[in-house]
Amino acid sequence: MILVWLSGLVRRRAGRLAAVTVGVGTAVALLAAIGTFLSASKASMTERALARVAVDWQVQVAAGADPAQVAGALAAHPGTATTDVVGFASVPGLSATTPAPGGGTTVQTTGAAQVLGLPSSYRADFPGQVRILAGGNSGVLVAQQTAANLHVGVGDVVAVARPGLPDASVTVGGVVDLPQADTLFQKVGAPAGAQPAAPPDNVLLLPEDAWHQVVDPLAADRPELLSSQVHVARDAGLPADPAAAFVAETGAARNAELALAGAGVVGDNLAATLDAAREDALYAQILFLFLGAPGAVVAGLLTTAVAGAGRERRQREQALLRTRGATHRQVLALALGEAVLVGAAGAAAGLALAALLGRLIFGSPAFGTTAAAAAGWAGLAAAAGLAVAGLTIVLPAERAWRTGRVVAAVSLPRPSRPRWARIGLDVLALAGAAVLIGATSRVGYALVLAPEGVAAISVDYWAFLGPALLWLGGGLLCWRLTDLLLRRGRRPLALAVRPVAGPLAGVVSGGLGRSRALVTRGAVVLAVAVAFAVSTAVFNATYEQQALIDAQLTNGADVTVTEPPGAHVPPSAGGALAAVPGVRAVEPLQHRYAYVGADLQDLFGVRPTTVASATSLQDSWFTGGTADELMAELARTPDGVLVSAETVSDYQLHLGDTLQLRVQSGTGGGLIPATFRYIGVANEFPTAPKDSFLVARADYVARITGDDSVGSFLLDTGGRADSAATAAVAGAAGPGATVTPLSAAVATIGSSLSSVDMHGLTALELGFAFAFGVAAGGLVLALGMAERRRTFAVIRALGARGRQAAAFVVGEAAVVLVLGLVLGAVLGGVLAKALVAVLSGVFDPPPSSVAVPWTYLGLLAAGVTMGIVLACAAVLASVRRSGVAAMRES
Amino acid sequence: MVTGVTGPDPVLVECRDVHRSFGRGPTEVVALREVSCRVNRGQHVAVTGESGSGKSTLLHVMAGLEVPSSGVVTWPGLVLRGDRPGGVGVVFQAPSLLPMLDVADNVALPLLLADVPAGAARDRALAALDRLGLGGLSGAAPEELSGGQGQRVALARVLAAEPALVLADEPTGQLDRRTADSVVDVLLDTVDALGAALVVSTHDPAVADRLDEHWSMADGRLSAPVVSGAAR
Repeated sequence: MILVWLSGLVRRRAGRLAAVTVGVGTAVALLAAIGTFLSASKASMTERALARVAVDWQVQVAAGADPAQVAGALAAHPGTATTDVVGFASVPGLSATTPAPGGGTTVQTTGAAQVLGLPSSYRADFPGQVRILAGGNSGVLVAQQTAANLHVGVGDVVAVARPGLPDASVTVGGVVDLPQADTLFQKVGAPAGAQPAAPPDNVLLLPEDAWHQVVDPLAADRPELLSSQVHVARDAGLPADPAAAFVAETGAARNAELALAGAGVVGDNLAATLDAAREDALYAQILFLFLGAPGAVVAGLLTTAVAGAGRERRQREQALLRTRGATHRQVLALALGEAVLVGAAGAAAGLALAALLGRLIFGSPAFGTTAAAAAGWAGLAAAAGLAVAGLTIVLPAERAWRTGRVVAAVSLPRPSRPRWARIGLDVLALAGAAVLIGATSRVGYALVLAPEGVAAISVDYWAFLGPALLWLGGGLLCWRLTDLLLRRGRRPLALAVRPVAGPLAGVVSGGLGRSRALVTRGAVVLAVAVAFAVSTAVFNATYEQQALIDAQLTNGADVTVTEPPGAHVPPSAGGALAAVPGVRAVEPLQHRYAYVGADLQDLFGVRPTTVASATSLQDSWFTGGTADELMAELARTPDGVLVSAETVSDYQLHLGDTLQLRVQSGTGGGLIPATFRYIGVANEFPTAPKDSFLVARADYVARITGDDSVGSFLLDTGGRADSAATAAVAGAAGPGATVTPLSAAVATIGSSLSSVDMHGLTALELGFAFAFGVAAGGLVLALGMAERRRTFAVIRALGARGRQAAAFVVGEAAVVLVLGLVLGAVLGGVLAKALVAVLSGVFDPPPSSVAVPWTYLGLLAAGVTMGIVLACAAVLASVRRSGVAAMRES
Repeated sequence: MVTGVTGPDPVLVECRDVHRSFGRGPTEVVALREVSCRVNRGQHVAVTGESGSGKSTLLHVMAGLEVPSSGVVTWPGLVLRGDRPGGVGVVFQAPSLLPMLDVADNVALPLLLADVPAGAARDRALAALDRLGLGGLSGAAPEELSGGQGQRVALARVLAAEPALVLADEPTGQLDRRTADSVVDVLLDTVDALGAALVVSTHDPAVADRLDEHWSMADGRLSAPVVSGAAR
């Protein structure tokens, strides 16, 4: 019997089945595709985390242990690819005698320094650890900051102070940057709070033999100054999932320590970065929940609306079955059969579409990082599709059986006030949402909780409740408002539809009121679909905006020209850069170092009245005033300085307090004490590091240091930073300067550990959102009107001409379109702001305002309108074609 | 082919060798086969025949709702609006009230479609409902009406438009005997009041006997008219 029924449905109700199948398939495709996004994101996070670690393990050799034996034990450990023994020596200082600008010589002496001994294979084994800036890649290498402190370059001699021994002299072979100095000079095995605040300022890298020559004599009297580490490169084939990789990695490190039996302590750099990556992975899952789950719900609602368009006909068929003796079980079995048919077909089509989208967008059709995860995710998506099909087909059948209704041949759903409206569920939900979202956005709320040193990582899922209540309350409020307008607003509706209905406006608006259950359903489904599209688009645009701001923060401007360390480049050198075609503004930026107490910080000297001409300063980067206000205050205060919030807290500063800083002198001679006045807080500044830093007036810094050298020039090229522009600037900058376009910073940030790759998710969600909008507008309307073909046929039979018959169709369509777009836009805007507030941790830096993608929203409105126009045209053409025959339809 | 002229001609509608078929090939259904007939002002005709004999199709062709596959339909005594005749009121077999309009709006709709101003259309609709004793149901929804009430509202819709020709397609097909008689009474009173011609398709002999002429249809063919001494 079921097969007969289903074959009849396929032959005679193919359109209805196809429409519901498409709805189910869309929901399944979105869920499964988001699963693909999650798996692809996690895998890429793990990959990027592993790629950015220069040295996987730094094993501190215990005092008295043999470094070679420790290296051998580690080499034999499963998963180890390479080991190198690195010597560390702490010396009192370094010094260098260099020619003075006016003739003669000067002697520069540093404070305590670290001298490392590297084996000859080190640079090949760990290429990310040392970056050559000048000179060769062998011999004695001096760190960039040290070279600046000593005023040395390639070929200069540096003396290494040795306690109780004469200084040892070495000749500089190259100047290098140590990109991961923080990690290189960590205290292996020490807790996070006991780590040094900053890496050493003075570092010398010697070949292994030279190192032994210099430091071995210290071993007899001062062994505590010497230590060794074994640097290990791993190739352990970690799982793609960051959390699983973290667990596997920490286990391997502990296992290695066990094998060393106290001879060494493993500093697991891999685990440290995987720790951050698993936090990023959780954020990716959160983004799915916040952005993807509503999409799946919208798809389900759309499918419900599509299936609901044929509910009357389905109920009549089931009523006929009842009158012919079908039992309750048989009727439900037929309904279940139909649900399984469309659910299975929709799930299969949805999974296929998801796999295709995954391949196209994310480069992988897999729904999970492992086979089990992929199967689970695909099963979950398919189950969701079957559930939607069951809810939209079986549930109404059960309800109809229980009420004993045999639906009249021609009737409308009786509009009655639903229970949720009587208890004000929409208002309650919105109030709850306001309280929760307000609470989470006021305090510095952390959605992802990853305490240091704790293997477990958790998400505060209560934070989801606010946006979920906002969705629920907003959708219900849309329903209430639409129903109210249709129920009580016959006059304003008549005015509104008069342009399309003419003299029939009164009858059309009256008809809309009586059909308000259908019209409300159409308008609310469209509003929810539009809200999903708007909220997703605004959130994604804001994310892109912040990513660009982050890149601008990192790079400083469209193009940045960084002078080599130790070079004396005056501000006037900016004139040559300003003359380059396309350069709109050039702003010099001084860069010094200054001690705040014992803390060495970067000091940036700016021209407060013009600095914003070449770079953008965001209000959210400052505390105690807007960017303009604090720059104006700096302009008024010659000795003013902006400090970080951490500095204010550490030193208990109050506005107006004077600070005694020791500023690096530009002309040699070490540090110069200088007085500054604390005038405000700068949390971010173009080119500034993530650590604490200082911003002062360039003229004041030049006066107290006797040096107006510029560290970098910030160039405004009107957003144009292509290779041609960059090459032109490089030509004017001269040799030695590094020219960095904004695109380089964008690429770096896009691959950084702290970012989640939103591009794929954005493409996926915006594409589905657009499809939902068009389907909600056109498809639901067309299907609903198709079920009322008889009504429109009667209207034509009563003498309606083409335009008159169209008035009823177009009037309803226009009301659905306008209400859907307006309510959807408002709800979507509110949702976007709420999402930005709750998900503030995803943004770096947090946005001060949302970005609105007007082009996409315009296309969405046009697409929805076009869908509705086509639906109207299809309905009218169908009525014209079928003529009187449609009147025989029941 | 459809043609028509304006003018006070006594012939309201004339069919000449009208042929109407649906579909093609083996599945073709011929509803009318070379049907020729004429309806004059004031004429009361019952078109009888079994189900599927073509009665409804003949009325639809007369109303201009369907275009013949061949043959000619003209409305010499009626004014054409586009390619359809004005002044024709149709009572459909199945309930034809629009569910999204209340009773008054349902009755007023044909007037509005004929460009009668909204106020005048509503007044005429209410007057028609009052005439049929349905004034209290003007604000009711169609699904709240019984079958007989629904058909009487459909008659009120015809009455309000004051047509010259009333075509009733099985108006009592879904009603019980008593209600059917009542509806036929109203129908005949309505056309008498308007001086309109009436064509009723029915397979109910009791209804057919109440009209002056009988046309019989079988397998799409119309037999010669029979004038009866109809007892109202």
